Amino acid sequence: MNLIHSLIPSFSRAPVVTSGHREEDLGPTVQPHYEVKETDDAFGLTVTLPGVTKQDLEITSDSDSLRIVGKRSWTRPEGWTVLYRESTDATFLLELDHEGAVNAEKAHAELHDGVLRLSLPKADEVKPRRIEIA
Amino acid sequence: MRYIRYNYPTRRSVPAAAFGRGAWNGLESEFDRLFNAAFASSGVTAPTGRFPVDVYQDDNNVYVRAELPGFKRDAINVEVVDGYLTIEAKREAESEKAQRAAKFNRSIALPDDVKSDGVTAAYSDGVLTVTLPKKEEAKPRKITVEVK
Repeated sequence: MNLIHSLIPSFSRAPVVTSGHREEDLGPTVQPHYEVKETDDAFGLTVTLPGVTKQDLEITSDSDSLRIVGKRSWTRPEGWTVLYRESTDATFLLELDHEGAVNAEKAHAELHDGVLRLSLPKADEVKPRRIEIA
Repeated sequence: MRYIRYNYPTRRSVPAAAFGRGAWNGLESEFDRLFNAAFASSGVTAPTGRFPVDVYQDDNNVYVRAELPGFKRDAINVEVVDGYLTIEAKREAESEKAQRAAKFNRSIALPDDVKSDGVTAAYSDGVLTVTLPKKEEAKPRKITVEVK
């Protein structure tokens, strides 16, 4: 291990903390498929989270980013054996930077059939403003 | 001539302040972001193409679980023909919520010991579970032999 570290010094370096939150142990994570749409006064975010129930979904927002964690609640019942697998058991994790452009307090979220629809109103500072000519 | 072994600078040999908050820190996270974007599609339902399918079995049934997020129940069609299970799901584009129209179609070869009748399907949280009963002769049987 020491040899590897001396050959590739970056291996021994602690990972860069990208943003404010502390990384809790989520295990393996996978980024869900998502779409962002923009209207004049809001952003619409659609995230596909198959197999995630309301109780296992956690949406947090701080001053400049949004974080969605969806754990898969379904576990293989006793006695079931796998014949073939394509899906993963990995937790869904989506982190998006909004840099303060949304008003997270007025956000509205809906989860239906594994699709999360999140509407994030824009912060007043970034809304288009009409400037009166004096 | 003297032979001097070169020690690569590691965290132990170089004070942390020398590399701690350099210009490279941001670059590293940028690479992470690129890699995440490149590998994000694996194992996740994309708006087009195939959806992930899992096949399980227990003593009595074979179960097929398919990840099909965001479909109406009547837009999912499940058929068993000639030892193949076909799952078809359609979604029309919604005007205001603006979710894209999608059409998924997938056939899976079933194990030989599956009956073609008595198939049930359930859809919850974007996951379709199809339960296919096994043939009687394929089920494990317990035969008690009386010893005289």
